[in-house]
Amino acid sequence: MSLEIKNLKKKFGERTVLDGISFIIPPGDILFILGTSGTGKSVLLKNIVGLLKPDGGEIWLDGEEISRLSEEDYFLIRKKCGMVFQHPALFDSLTILENVAFGLRRHYPNLTEEEIRTRVKKFLSLVNISDVEEKLPQQISYGMQKRVSLARTVAIEPKVLLFDEPTTGLDPVTTNAINQLIKNLSRTLKTTSIVVSHDMHCALDIADKIVVLDKGKVVEFGTPAELKKSKVKLVQDFLAEVH
Amino acid sequence: MILKPLVGILDDIGGGLLFMWDLLKTAFRSPCERKTLLEQIYQVSMQSLVTTASSGFFVGAILSVQFNIQLKEFSALSVLGGLATSGTIRELGPLLIAFMLSGKVGAYTSAELGIMRVTEQIDAMRCLGTNPMQHLILPRFIGIIVSSFFLLLAGLLMSVLGGAVMAALVADMNLMEYISGIPTFVTWGSVLNGLFKCCMFSILLAAICTYKGYTTTGGAKGVGRTVIATALSTMVGIVLMDWFTSYLSRNLFSVIGVGSV
Repeated sequence: MSLEIKNLKKKFGERTVLDGISFIIPPGDILFILGTSGTGKSVLLKNIVGLLKPDGGEIWLDGEEISRLSEEDYFLIRKKCGMVFQHPALFDSLTILENVAFGLRRHYPNLTEEEIRTRVKKFLSLVNISDVEEKLPQQISYGMQKRVSLARTVAIEPKVLLFDEPTTGLDPVTTNAINQLIKNLSRTLKTTSIVVSHDMHCALDIADKIVVLDKGKVVEFGTPAELKKSKVKLVQDFLAEVH
Repeated sequence: MILKPLVGILDDIGGGLLFMWDLLKTAFRSPCERKTLLEQIYQVSMQSLVTTASSGFFVGAILSVQFNIQLKEFSALSVLGGLATSGTIRELGPLLIAFMLSGKVGAYTSAELGIMRVTEQIDAMRCLGTNPMQHLILPRFIGIIVSSFFLLLAGLLMSVLGGAVMAALVADMNLMEYISGIPTFVTWGSVLNGLFKCCMFSILLAAICTYKGYTTTGGAKGVGRTVIATALSTMVGIVLMDWFTSYLSRNLFSVIGVGSV
């Protein structure tokens, strides 16, 4: 499923966060969005999934303009377009099983309890987790919570996956495991993926395309190989961290 | 300098009214699940039952002591039960329930929703195809209102008991003497007045704590600010609402002719 952003704009009060962002992602590609803190990366994802409304511009998902849809109409879009948040955002009062089943119950109301349980186990095993179904989120580690959050999002089988800093707050080993998981899930489930990150090393490793944002504008867009030759100062600063 | 807080208050009132409008639309379009609602009613009632009942007991006892001092001078102790119960049902009961709920349920609800907001659980809920207004806010809102009536009833029963116990201790009255004076003062008008106040206070409390919690920003500090703002707004709001409902019910019930208020 392709995604196209055309001249997207978003302001909070007097502060311009997105200032005419445009790019296209072909179906099945993994796109990394890089940039320093406060450059509008998370705001961009929240605009795509309808949690925020843009002040200008268009968002085209698989040939449909979605930026002006009502909250009710976004129900179907959010089935196609899942988002993994910076925090695990698991519901504290629900078990891991109920957390992963949450979206399934809403989007697939005809599934039986047995089918839901089977699906939950399948998606938990996709993120390398087992035997925690009856535990509460606070009873498992932060890294595991992140993976459960990933399983909860992919369980509704979206065609586009949005990841908002999926490795923030994790140790290097878990960070690497999550990055590989994103790559494998995107390839296995054939989803189009957008990953917001600060991690240039990971972006060069698994991205098909990379967008670099600065002060709400796209300052560089291309494949990892193209980015390595970039003359943009910010890109060079990011690349310097890799070497 | 003066304008900034004023703009903030107006902004809050405007935001709160729009939030209530959204909630009202949700209530008619997609009511919340019965199970979630019953859970909320049970949780809110159980959270505050002990404090409300014990406070009710002592309010009854305090009124009994105070009225005893006054009534003794006029040799009118026979009306002690009626006066104490009437005072509780018309004014102190609803006000007490509202303050208790504000301290316990109001702070709890706003903190719970605030944490869900700052840890992106509410956004995640929307992304998973669920309307948070229907699933989170509506059951809490209705739960607080319904529970407040149960708590009012518990508080009133305990206040009668507290009043009667104290009357026995300080005025040598037995329970039957104390209760027999109640119908003279507690009319349908005063019952309606108490219920009306209880209803208005709980609507105000439910609106403030759900709105404040739902619109929390700024991480852990933001949640702290939300809880303080909720406590402050509900306390001030309840006192203002008490004045307003006293004024309104005085005119309203006399117009519809429902007994003495």
